Amino acid sequence: MTATRNLGFVAAGATLLAAAPLSAIFERWTWLIQTSIAVAVVAGAAALTRLARMPLWGQALGMLGGLTLALTWLFPAGTELVAFLPTPGTFAHFGELLGASAQDMRSYGVKVPDTDPLLFVTVLGIGAVAVVVDVLAVGLRRPALAGLPMLAVYSVPVAVYTDSVPAVPFVVGAAGYLWLLVTDNVDRVRRFGRRFTGDGRDVDVWEASPLAAAGRRLAVVGVVLAVALPLAVPGMTGGLLDTLGSGTGDGSGRPGQGGNQGRVDLFASLSGQLNQSEVYEMVKVTTSEPNPFYLRYGVADELRPDGFRVRTPTGRPVTRDLPDPTQRARAGVEQKRYRATVKVTKNLAMPLLPVYAEPVRTEELGGNWLYDPNLQVLFSNRDNSRDKSYSFEYVRSTYTPAALRQAPSLPSDHPVRLQQTATPPAPKVDALVADLVRGKRTDYDKVRAIYDHFSADNGFTYSLTTKGGTSGQDVVDFLTNKAGFCQQYAAAMAWLVRAAGIPARVAFGFSNGTGRTDDGYVLTNRNLHAWTEVYFDGMGWVPFDATPAYGVQGSTRSAWAPDTDRPEPESPGAGSPATPDDAEPSAGPAGRDAADRETDAGLAVGADAPTREDPTWPWWAAGALALLALLAAPALRRAALRRRRGGRAAVAAAPATVGSGAGGSERTMVVQVDADRARADAHAAWDELLDTLVDYRVRVDRTETPRATAERLVNDDLAEDATAAAGARLLGRAEERARYARAPLTGEELPPALRAVRGALAGRAGRRARVVAAVLPPSVLLHWRTAVTDATSRLVTRAGDARYRLLRWTPRRLLSSRPHR
Amino acid sequence: MTQQTWDEVGGELLPHDEFRAASEAIVANIERVIEGKTATVRLALAVLLAEGHLLIEDVPGVGKTKLAKALARSIDCTVRRIQFTPDLLPSDVTGVSVYNQETHDFEFRTGAVFANLVVGDEINRASPKTQSALLECMEERQVTVDGVTYQLQTPFMVIATQNPIEMEGTYPLPEAQRDRFTARIAMGYPDPGAELAMLDGHGAADPLRELRPVSDADTVRRLIATVREVHVADAVKQYAVDLVTATREAPDLRLGASPRATLQLLRTARAVAALEGRDYVLPDDLQALAVPVLAHRIIPTADAQLARRTTDAIVSELVHRLPLPHDRQRSPYDTRPAAEGHGRGPYEPRKG
Repeated sequence: MTATRNLGFVAAGATLLAAAPLSAIFERWTWLIQTSIAVAVVAGAAALTRLARMPLWGQALGMLGGLTLALTWLFPAGTELVAFLPTPGTFAHFGELLGASAQDMRSYGVKVPDTDPLLFVTVLGIGAVAVVVDVLAVGLRRPALAGLPMLAVYSVPVAVYTDSVPAVPFVVGAAGYLWLLVTDNVDRVRRFGRRFTGDGRDVDVWEASPLAAAGRRLAVVGVVLAVALPLAVPGMTGGLLDTLGSGTGDGSGRPGQGGNQGRVDLFASLSGQLNQSEVYEMVKVTTSEPNPFYLRYGVADELRPDGFRVRTPTGRPVTRDLPDPTQRARAGVEQKRYRATVKVTKNLAMPLLPVYAEPVRTEELGGNWLYDPNLQVLFSNRDNSRDKSYSFEYVRSTYTPAALRQAPSLPSDHPVRLQQTATPPAPKVDALVADLVRGKRTDYDKVRAIYDHFSADNGFTYSLTTKGGTSGQDVVDFLTNKAGFCQQYAAAMAWLVRAAGIPARVAFGFSNGTGRTDDGYVLTNRNLHAWTEVYFDGMGWVPFDATPAYGVQGSTRSAWAPDTDRPEPESPGAGSPATPDDAEPSAGPAGRDAADRETDAGLAVGADAPTREDPTWPWWAAGALALLALLAAPALRRAALRRRRGGRAAVAAAPATVGSGAGGSERTMVVQVDADRARADAHAAWDELLDTLVDYRVRVDRTETPRATAERLVNDDLAEDATAAAGARLLGRAEERARYARAPLTGEELPPALRAVRGALAGRAGRRARVVAAVLPPSVLLHWRTAVTDATSRLVTRAGDARYRLLRWTPRRLLSSRPHR
Repeated sequence: MTQQTWDEVGGELLPHDEFRAASEAIVANIERVIEGKTATVRLALAVLLAEGHLLIEDVPGVGKTKLAKALARSIDCTVRRIQFTPDLLPSDVTGVSVYNQETHDFEFRTGAVFANLVVGDEINRASPKTQSALLECMEERQVTVDGVTYQLQTPFMVIATQNPIEMEGTYPLPEAQRDRFTARIAMGYPDPGAELAMLDGHGAADPLRELRPVSDADTVRRLIATVREVHVADAVKQYAVDLVTATREAPDLRLGASPRATLQLLRTARAVAALEGRDYVLPDDLQALAVPVLAHRIIPTADAQLARRTTDAIVSELVHRLPLPHDRQRSPYDTRPAAEGHGRGPYEPRKG
């Protein structure tokens, strides 16, 4: 009983140690006091219930009751009896605390102060973990399972922290877990009695038992497997091992964990930065390009009813080859390679890095940083852009309007088009787009018509403050109010282009600011910008900046998207040549229903035609087939064995009959027939008989001679079947002659005898035995197991020899003062 | 010595059917006296053909001496009978040199062992001194008296009887003596039918009197020569060695069987196989012979004796535990890999 009590104490202690990772969340350490009290009460309740020899459910109930009392005492509502007996009011208070804790979790960032709701949740959680650990470790004696709830505690800071969680708390928690395991095992060994070696001598208390060598070997095998398996699986190497040194996860940003870049609201940060009165430098960039387009760091391409949202990027490390945009080279597209160096100041802290589109090679960036070839952004799941400086080479593509005009429309089932042309229902927008693109034949003309719509002629103005509207949709409000800043223009144009059935998205970055200085461009928070990118088949993503140029410092226009206000830059409201024409509303977004189909994560936008993802079912089918093959292997092996043995016997039978027919007497027959072959046939038939016996669960005794085995079969199993009995005797006679006589038995047909015996045995066996014999023949399994056992024992023997030889040279032998046993 | 000696047995082998006829005739002849004991009779004959000696051990009155005499009479050869008594002297067994006054010379008067068949009745009643007189002749088939060595005739067989129950006034056979007996057999009580037949047959006159020889020493020699030619496969030899080794390693036994036991086991197995009409020895023969051939040579430990485990039980348990040697005569068609040498075959039940 003391052992159990001791184990319960250790379980409580291990739970407390496992709670160590929470120290990374709280500002102070006082949470530990409350938690310790709760865990202690739980452990005490467990000990008491065990003292009363309660069943396991009683223990669990007792622990939960203890936890409730502790919580009541620690977080009183004021209505308790004798300070710790809960009342309905207490539970109402608990409910409030729970609700408030959710609020606190949202409002506070790490590290959090000691608020009552958070402390309550912490104590409740750790207490519950203590209950579960106690039940698992002491009640069920499965301490290994107790690692799961303890690991759950560690997952809390992992979920909260964006980049990395300090390792020390994990080590402390793991130490607690190991403590629990060791205590349980020591207890187990003590129950067993004395520790001794395989050959029965005692082992000193602190000497490692030779029996533990098996455990050590298992541990080594486990570690080797854990390391080697990712190496062996090709898909896993990319993430784990390439980035092992820098300690990142694998190549895809996982959403759902607070603070991940997947949930960075670029729109919010952009408008927030633009509205700040303070101006500070964010990025310094030098480039060999004379007049570069905008520096770019983010993309929003997921259109929701409330606007564009950022999709979680996926990609691969920038240390690998990046897609080469020069593959898209064609007439009218000019592509030049430039080099740029970026120095990020401490003011820009994002999991994204600003680059010029489209980077082809990076320097001074580790494997932490990944490149999403779809979104053309550099991102990281672990690292931060703060104070980063790096350089990269990029390819700048410039397009002539003629070339863009020649780009064909994307087919309606193209994945990019399926994904990037979805728009939420907005009848006003659709009507406007239909109006704008009427009569326009090419994609470029349609885009230009939409682009030109955002001109001062149509009343669009730049304003950092936007007025609200009544339509309920921001885009409609903007199109009505016609006042906004870059992100409204960018998003509205992207929406409209999508509504016209052409893929579009919103890009974020920096405009060129106050212009080039001696050491390149200095970009501040005021230079943050957003613009639209439109996908043209064969060209890729082509930027269009619809924001009025006067509102954007360092605005840059291109040949394919000229400044719509250029004729009268200072007079918004002037007319524009881009008047909507009448045209057929054929450009309605097609295939919208299938739009939520995701494109392949590894889709190479740089390539001409992004390929659809391969279907996964062949892999499943192959896996199922492999599994089937694995399951069928014993049966197939058995069938092959039977065929081989049967075939051999049939071949040998022929000369035997010929011999008996020609010679007529036994002596001549012996001369004529190949004795070796007859012997092998007899052995094969006998082996087959033994395997059949094993298959049908008939005892096989190695101390029996073939004759005795045959007689036993005849007496026990084949008494009713005269043919089978004669067959069994014949097989036994043939085998004993083959084994022990000068000349083997010849002139007898063994396969029919074998068939008769097998049939009789199958008839006697139960259905289950028959099915097992057909599907998973025990004989084959037995052979394999024997082979494995033999191989293992050979290996162990050899390893033991080697170890002994090594130990002969160890200096420890000389130092050892203990007499050698 | 005109008769053939032990090592000179040879000559032409008996054909299979003649061997069978001769051996069956002897068995049938003996069975006219000893009813319902075919297995015992055949074993006795097998010991004769294996050139061994037979120890018949059983309670009085079950026909030990009858069997010995019937076997002796069935074969037309010299038979001597010794009644072992406490005052029997070694010279009565081996012979003695006496001074012949006519020739003024010592001349050797042969003892009882100078015969083809020597029946020693109640052998344990003689003192060990007298019993020891048999040691040389049984193993070496020669008698040395006064420095002169006399070869014995062949076939030479000692058939001794002894009573295991009544030990008063007896001298247990020394280990060396017991080891020289090839087999020890027990007669056992006859079954009721056989006993009834015995009442009829033995009621009027002793059938032993009417027993006529059906064979002679020469035929027996040829039978022996034939037995020597019986084939023993390597696996069977290995099994014999395994069996004997098992008695040496058995925890219940203080003394295991000797190498002589191995030899005689195999020799007897040959004879048994030949009697059954085979020209090869089976492990079955060894299994059947293990108790008669091995059980009287071994000495159980004190613990086993306290547990009242007889040597017969220990040996038969060994036989049931010992796996057959697994390797076979390999043929060019046998493609399986050679079996591992550590004796664990694929069908051995897993331990623990």
